[in-house]
Amino acid sequence: MIFGTLMKQLFSKPATNPFPVRHMPRSVTAILKKVAAGQAAIHPPVPTPKDLRGKIAYDRDKCIGCGLCARVCPANVIELYKPEGEEKNKIRMYVARCTFCAQCVDACPVGALWTTEEFLLAATDRFAENLIVE
Amino acid sequence: MSVSIVQAVWQGLVILFGGALLGMIYKGFDRKLAAQMQGRIGPPLRQPFFDVIKLMVKENVVPDHAVGWLYNLMPLLSLAAVATLLFYVPLGGFRPLLGGYGDLILILYLLAVPSLAMVVGGFAAGSPFATIGAQREMVMMMAYEFPLAITFLSIAWRLSVALPGQAVFSLTTIAANPLWGLVGPFGFIGLLLLFLSLLVVTPAELAKIPFDIPEAETEIAGGLLAEYSGRNLAMFYLGDAIKMVVMASLMVALFFPYGLANLFGVAGFWGGLIDVAFYLVKVFLVIFVAVITVRVGFARLKIGQVARLFWLPVTGVSLLGTLLLALDRIV
Amino acid sequence: MNNQSINLEIGNNTACYSVPVGPVHPALKEPIRFQFDLDGERIVGVDIKPGFAHRGIEYMGMRRNLIQTLYLSERICGICSISHPLAFTQAVENAAGIEVPPRAQYIRTIIGELERIHSHLLWAGVGAHELGFDTLLHLVWNVREKSMDLLEQLTGNRVDYAIPIFGGVRRDIPAEKAPLAYEAIGYYKDLLQRLIDAFLRDKSVELRTRNVGVMTYDQAVALCAAGPTTRASGVKKDVRVDMPYLAYADMDLHAITPEDYGTEPIGDVFDNIIVRLLEVAQSIEIIEFCLEHLPEGELTSIPKVPALLAALKKASGEGIGRHEAPRGEVFHYVRLEEGVEEMAVWKVKAPTYSNLMAWVPKFLGDEVADIPIVAASIDPCMCCMDRVHLIDGTGTASVKAKEELVRLSREKTRRICG
Repeated sequence: MIFGTLMKQLFSKPATNPFPVRHMPRSVTAILKKVAAGQAAIHPPVPTPKDLRGKIAYDRDKCIGCGLCARVCPANVIELYKPEGEEKNKIRMYVARCTFCAQCVDACPVGALWTTEEFLLAATDRFAENLIVE
Repeated sequence: MSVSIVQAVWQGLVILFGGALLGMIYKGFDRKLAAQMQGRIGPPLRQPFFDVIKLMVKENVVPDHAVGWLYNLMPLLSLAAVATLLFYVPLGGFRPLLGGYGDLILILYLLAVPSLAMVVGGFAAGSPFATIGAQREMVMMMAYEFPLAITFLSIAWRLSVALPGQAVFSLTTIAANPLWGLVGPFGFIGLLLLFLSLLVVTPAELAKIPFDIPEAETEIAGGLLAEYSGRNLAMFYLGDAIKMVVMASLMVALFFPYGLANLFGVAGFWGGLIDVAFYLVKVFLVIFVAVITVRVGFARLKIGQVARLFWLPVTGVSLLGTLLLALDRIV
Repeated sequence: MNNQSINLEIGNNTACYSVPVGPVHPALKEPIRFQFDLDGERIVGVDIKPGFAHRGIEYMGMRRNLIQTLYLSERICGICSISHPLAFTQAVENAAGIEVPPRAQYIRTIIGELERIHSHLLWAGVGAHELGFDTLLHLVWNVREKSMDLLEQLTGNRVDYAIPIFGGVRRDIPAEKAPLAYEAIGYYKDLLQRLIDAFLRDKSVELRTRNVGVMTYDQAVALCAAGPTTRASGVKKDVRVDMPYLAYADMDLHAITPEDYGTEPIGDVFDNIIVRLLEVAQSIEIIEFCLEHLPEGELTSIPKVPALLAALKKASGEGIGRHEAPRGEVFHYVRLEEGVEEMAVWKVKAPTYSNLMAWVPKFLGDEVADIPIVAASIDPCMCCMDRVHLIDGTGTASVKAKEELVRLSREKTRRICG
C-alpha cells in the first residue's frame, strides 16, 4: 500500500523548496555579502524559467506615443500622457495593477516594450519606485 | 509521616511536569515525522510548546448559547483526569506514585473521563458542529471501550492464574511479571492478538486519524473543539499530549515492561538512567507505530464504520486472544 | 422537470435539526451555502444558496474592448483558466468570422490538456484532504508540480497562461521546448499507475467513497449534468467527442466512463475518482499526439493588433463557443455590434452551473461525514459559476454588479442599525 512510499520518504529529502535562510537575518544585505564572499550558505533559489512573464520594461526613446498599449491593457496599467516640451506622448505604467499578460508587448508596433524575468516585486507602497515604469 | 507526604507531593509535581513535557516532546516528534513521511519539512520539534504558550495568551471565548460553567469546567476536568492517570501508570520503569491506591480498573474508568469531559464540553458549547462531534465521540467510546476492557481483564485474569494470591490488578504487579514468559505457545499467540487489538484501540482512544471523527477538521470544523479557544483549548491540547504518554506507557507496562539495566547488570543511578532511556525509546516506538504511521497512512473513517470495526473484528480478535489464553491454561 | 422525474422523496422530512455548511467552512474551497436538514447523521434535506463569488464579470466585460475582456475571462477562474478564454475566443471568432490556423489550434489543445491534468490532480488532492488523508494530498500535489512547471516554461506563468488570442495563439511551442514537454509526459506516464493505485486500491479510500454520493444515469441525464460528474454515472457526454473542435477533430477520442476501468458505473464518488484519473491518462495521450503531429504554419491569422482591433470592431452577429473544461462544458455566448468596440451581450455558462443540481440527489441519504467529499465530488468551481440575477417586485429583471450590491448592503446595514 502506501506505507512503502511513506517509509521511503521518511529518509529522503523533503520536496519543499525551502526559504533561503532558516530564520530572518538581522540584515539582509549583510548576509548576501557573506554569501558572495563564500562565508555563508543559503538554500539556492529555484531557477527562474526562461521567458517568464515578469515585469514589463519600457524604452522611452523608441516609444512613438501611439497609445495601442493603453488600449489593449485589461487592467488600466498604462497611462498615456504628454510630457512637458516633448512632441510625442509617452506612457507611465503602474506595475501594482499589472496582470503581466504582456498584451501591451504584443501590441507595440515599434518594440518599445518587452517582458523581463523580474518577479520579486512585493512592496508596501503601491507607488514605490520599482513599481512605476516610465 | 509528614516527610513522606512532602516527598510524595514533590514526586507528584515532578511526574506532572515530566509527563506534560514528555507529552509535548512526543507530540513534536509526531508532527515532524508525519511531515517527513509526507515529503514536507514540518514544524520544529518545539512547536507544541509554542502552541500551548500561544493558546494561553489568547482570548478565551465563551459562546452566547453555551452553558458557561460546564463549558469552562470540562477542560479542567479533562486535564485533571489525565494528570491523575499519570500517578497510576508506571513511568520510566518506576513504580507508579499512587500504585497502592488504585489499580487497572481505576485506570479503565479514568481513561474514560477525559473523553466524557470532551463530550459534555461539546454539548455545552451550543453549536451544531460541537453537538455532532460530541455524539460521535460518545458512539466511538461505546465502540472502543469493549476491546480495551477485554484486553485489560484478560491479562489480569491470566496473571491471577499464573501467580495466585497476588494483587494482579495492580500495575506494579503486572509490570513486574510480564506474561510472555509465563504462558505457553497458545498463550503467546493469544497475547499477541491482545496486543494487536490494543494497538488498534490506541488511536481511537487518542482520537487520531483514522478515528479522529469527533474532531474531524474538514467535516465538522473541529467538532467538539470547534468553539474552544484560549486557555480552555490549551488545557484540552495538554490533556491530549499527556494522554498519548499515558496510553503508550500503559501499553509498555502491560506488554513490554522489561528493563535493560538488569540485562547489563548495571545497578543504582546509572541503571535507573538506562531504564528510563529504554522506556522513552519504547514509548516512542509505540507512538510511532500506533499513532504516527497510522495517522498518515489512512483516510478518516465514518462513525458507522468505526463502530462496526470495533464491535466486530477488533472485539473478535481480542476475544480470540482471551480464548487462547484460557486454552493455554488448560493445555 | 420535477422531483418525481429524478426519483427524489424530498417531501418525507424527518429532520430533527439543521446544520449550515458554508459559506466559510473547512470542507469548502470556495464559498457556497448549504443548509442540511439532518436526522441524526443522515441527511434528509438539502438547500443550496450560491452567489458568494459573484464579481460582476459579465458587466465589466461589456464595458471593455474584446482584447481586454479576453484577459478578464481568463481570470474568471484560476483552475479553469484557459477554458474560459478558449470558449470565449471561439465565440468571438464564430461571430466575427475569424479563422484559426491549424498550428494555433494544436497549441491551444496542448495547453488545454495540460490544464486538465493539473486541474484533475488538484481535485484528487483536495478530495483526499476532505477524506482526512493528507498524505495523498501532499503526494499528488507534488506530482502536479511537474505540469505547473511545464506550463510555466511553455507559457510564462503557472496560472493564467495568456495563450489564446482572437485568430490564434500568442506564443509558439518551439522545437527547443519540445524536449521539456516530452520529459514531463514521460514523468507522468511512469507515475500514473502508482497514482491510480494509491487512490483506487486503498481500502480506507474505498470505504469512504464507494456508494457515497450516488447519482444514477437517469438522474444525470435529467439534471443535464456535465463533465466528469455525468461521465461517472455512465453518461457518455463529452464536448470533445460530440462536437469536435480544435485538434480533437483529428483524434479518435472517446468519453471516459468507469467502464474503462472495468467496473459498472454507479455514479458514486469512487467512480468520479476513476473518471478523473483516467482522464489524466487520456490527456497525456492527447498531448503526445499533438506534439508529434504539430502542423507547421503561422501562429495567428491576424498578427497585428490594430488590424485585429479593427476587424473586431467591424464584426457583428452572434457567436457561441464551447470547450470541455476539466469540470464539464463551458459555454460562452457573445453578440457583437458593428462599429462598437465593446460586446453587446456576453453570457458565460460555467460547467459547475450545470452540475449544481447534481448535488441534491448526491447528498440525500448520505451522512454528515460524507458532506465534504460529496461536495468536492462534482469538482465545484463557484467563481466560474456565480452570477446574480435579481427580479424586483414589479417583475423587471436586472443584473446587479458590485457597486450596486455594496450600496444596497450599506443601506440595509443602516436600516438594521437604526
